[in-house]
Amino acid sequence: MTIVEPILTFFFYAIVAIAAQNAIFTRALGVSRLVKIVDDGSVELFKFGALLTAVQLISSLLSFFAGRALPYKAAFLPLVLVLCSAIAFFIVLLVLVLPKKRALAKDYLSLLPMATFNCSILGTLLLTSTGGYTLLQSMGFSLGSALGYVLAVVLVNEGQRKIQNRGVPATFRGLPITLLYIGVLALAIYGFSGHTPAI
Amino acid sequence: MTQENSKYLAENIDRLMRRDRIFLNNPVFMQGLGLAPIVVAATTLHNALVLGLGVLLLLTPTRLLAAMVCRGRWPRFRGVAYALTAAVVYIGVWFAENALFGVGMQTVGLYLPLLVVEPIILKRYERAQPERLGTAVRKGLVTTFGFLLALLLIAALRELLGAGTLLGYVVTNHPLLPMAQLVSGGFIFVGVLAAAWRWMRNVIKRIVSMEANLK
Repeated sequence: MTIVEPILTFFFYAIVAIAAQNAIFTRALGVSRLVKIVDDGSVELFKFGALLTAVQLISSLLSFFAGRALPYKAAFLPLVLVLCSAIAFFIVLLVLVLPKKRALAKDYLSLLPMATFNCSILGTLLLTSTGGYTLLQSMGFSLGSALGYVLAVVLVNEGQRKIQNRGVPATFRGLPITLLYIGVLALAIYGFSGHTPAI
Repeated sequence: MTQENSKYLAENIDRLMRRDRIFLNNPVFMQGLGLAPIVVAATTLHNALVLGLGVLLLLTPTRLLAAMVCRGRWPRFRGVAYALTAAVVYIGVWFAENALFGVGMQTVGLYLPLLVVEPIILKRYERAQPERLGTAVRKGLVTTFGFLLALLLIAALRELLGAGTLLGYVVTNHPLLPMAQLVSGGFIFVGVLAAAWRWMRNVIKRIVSMEANLK
């Protein structure tokens, strides 16, 4: 029971963050970046998702301990959390550079700033640090939030094939139709969860 | 308008439109920047004022300071420099917001501190060339005003249609579109406005080229 309970807590928070509190569909965290990624079409989603998840987990761990060690005012909270993200950025950078596989590292390095300085990362850190989450809850929520963000990017990217066709009026093509599509998906999530989560 | 002016406008309309970051190349409706706070938190004019002041105090100083810091050294770490600069500037912004709005600033929740990594503040780090200080100030101010225009317009319409009020004062007891207050409604609302904005831009472009052809 003592082992099962923390595992269940971890997965419960992860699943909640993927579905009912999806970063994009319920809080629009990182939606500007998503629109750009989908519009660009050249970003490799698997690599971007792997980097985002790694940075999210490391920065979440760091911010949890930073929050315990340093009691700070709300004005300094973003600075502390951005510092945690920056440290996570350098840790991931080191991991990528150390194996000396230049071609592979180059691909990932171009995506790393985009994955690190993202509203989804900082938004999740703000939610877990101000919501009084435990370490397990915080890690579970962060994992779910990163996976939920990647899932949303994949969903919208796949949807582009259907919505960017000639049947769509010219003025709606591009950003407007993408936002309408995300809005319809967000409405479905709202219908599923039945409420708008607190901001 | 003289024939020369019309021809110049018609020939350079795309370039001129790209440069106009307030109306014709609005950062929100045309470039999709700053969408998170607009879609979720810009449901009332009060929230828009809180967010607008945040962007006004954050965008240009961040861009200016980051342009000073990133002068050719360590180009790979421009993103880190921009984000940390914005987070430092945010400390002053928080105290200004607190002095002006008090607890009222909490109505926008996490979307005020989130501005620190919003692409509208940080987007410039993606370009490799260092930015001149004068350009940073000019473009920072113009982008800020473009964002404020979209923010206030969307917030006023969503408050009026979604809640039937304006700045908290009751306009109608029967709001026309309560869904405008939801996140999903925000996406749809901004999407429709972005389409309308593009339509107006296309109309202007057509008028300019028609005038040049007539003369």
